[in-house]
Amino acid sequence: MLIRGLAGLAAILLAWLAAVHLFGVPGYLLPAPLDVARRMVFLHENARLADHVAVTLGQLAWGYLLGLVLGIAAALAFARAPILERLSMPLVLLLQTAPKIAIAPLLLLWLGLGPAPKIVLVAIVTFFPIMTGVLSGLRFLPRSYGDLARVLRLSARQRFVHIELPATLPTLLAGMTVASTLAVTAVVIGELMGANQGIGYLLAAGQESADTATVIGMVLLLSFIGWGLYELFEQVRRRTQERFGHV
Amino acid sequence: MIEIDGISKVFQLRGKSVPALEPLTHAVPEGRFVAVVGPSGCGKSTLLRLIAGLETPTSGTIRLGAGPVKRPVGFVFQDAVLLPWKSVEANIRFPLDTAGMERARSDAVVRELVALVGLRGFEQALPRQLSGGMRQRTAIARALADDPPILLMDEPFSAVDLLTRETLNDELLRIWQRTGKTVMLVTHSVEEAAYLADEVMVMSARPGRLERTYAVDLPRPRSEETKLDRAYHELVAALRRDLRGGEAPR
Repeated sequence: MLIRGLAGLAAILLAWLAAVHLFGVPGYLLPAPLDVARRMVFLHENARLADHVAVTLGQLAWGYLLGLVLGIAAALAFARAPILERLSMPLVLLLQTAPKIAIAPLLLLWLGLGPAPKIVLVAIVTFFPIMTGVLSGLRFLPRSYGDLARVLRLSARQRFVHIELPATLPTLLAGMTVASTLAVTAVVIGELMGANQGIGYLLAAGQESADTATVIGMVLLLSFIGWGLYELFEQVRRRTQERFGHV
Repeated sequence: MIEIDGISKVFQLRGKSVPALEPLTHAVPEGRFVAVVGPSGCGKSTLLRLIAGLETPTSGTIRLGAGPVKRPVGFVFQDAVLLPWKSVEANIRFPLDTAGMERARSDAVVRELVALVGLRGFEQALPRQLSGGMRQRTAIARALADDPPILLMDEPFSAVDLLTRETLNDELLRIWQRTGKTVMLVTHSVEEAAYLADEVMVMSARPGRLERTYAVDLPRPRSEETKLDRAYHELVAALRRDLRGGEAPR
């Protein structure tokens, strides 16, 4: 999977290189791969690129964690009290269907230019796939597990720890995988709308100064982060599926 | 001991009352092996689930002379219901873990049970790596783990092939004789019922009710010899006639 992915990437790089040289595309429209790489090195040496990446990754991680905790908690609450689900679904769907790019300015108005609006935005987009993942896992729990729990007179806590949690791991991880790609988009939208550091900030700065190499470099960087996260979760998910999927 | 007194069950389906079991009274003395046979929809599984407390009765009471035990019954489900992420060993240990038994003690119990059901060497295997028969052995060991006085089995061998089934029947008899449990086994197979049980309850459908009972006085221990016994064949024939709704024999 990874090897094929890298091979595909190499092919794209070659095509890119060929396009630049064969058709003589001007550098301000499409810089050659090497120019982009040089630009990245320059940013690393002069603009503390690594710090910006760290800021973005930090916001990503905190937002993701927040979405994860809220998503699991909401799914558990909804599964136990369906009335809660009916009451809060309109709000959840409203948040989910509103374009994130439209929510972002609002969050910036409320929470300022710091990391807070980015974290909240990431939490909003990750909440939904994680919540639905856990909820569908709980809904499709084999009924016989409930019989087993009752024959063994398990407490609610034992039921959760020993049966519900492990049985919903595969769908939880499927939700987490989807959430990871959405999270990268969300954090960058937040940073584009208003920030003074982060990958999205460099991206916006590059756009303002018509620095195509920087913009392309940042886009690639974001893609790699998203891809890396996806691969990570997918690996974990596949391992868990083997063990935790229903027989 | 299982004392069933006028137990009945009516299910509510979309506002309609569907009687699953007519009032039924029967007593199973301690240590007895009882088989329940009957066509689909005769309420035999419902009866077992009522005894296990998985359904609440519409009327009547059930007394399990089990004393102050937290889990008076061990239940073997039709499709094993093992937790797929736990090994054979961990599945068998599950009732002990959730009852708070410390590892040192439960280790010994699990080892003994693994040997009893013939799963030595498969302790670390996951359920999906096992055959259907081995899964049911694991489920039986789990049902026996915290030593309940009563073992309820709901068509436990219906998903395994005939040869495995006969082996498992003999092992069940061996386990029963060693542990002295009161066993109630629901089955579709009249041969299985006649071969295993002290007593066979025959139920009929629509509405589910207890039609009659047979005392099985075939000598024990039972073996392939039993299956050549004329009395065994007569019982099997009588049971089959009952299930087909023919006239009562003799």
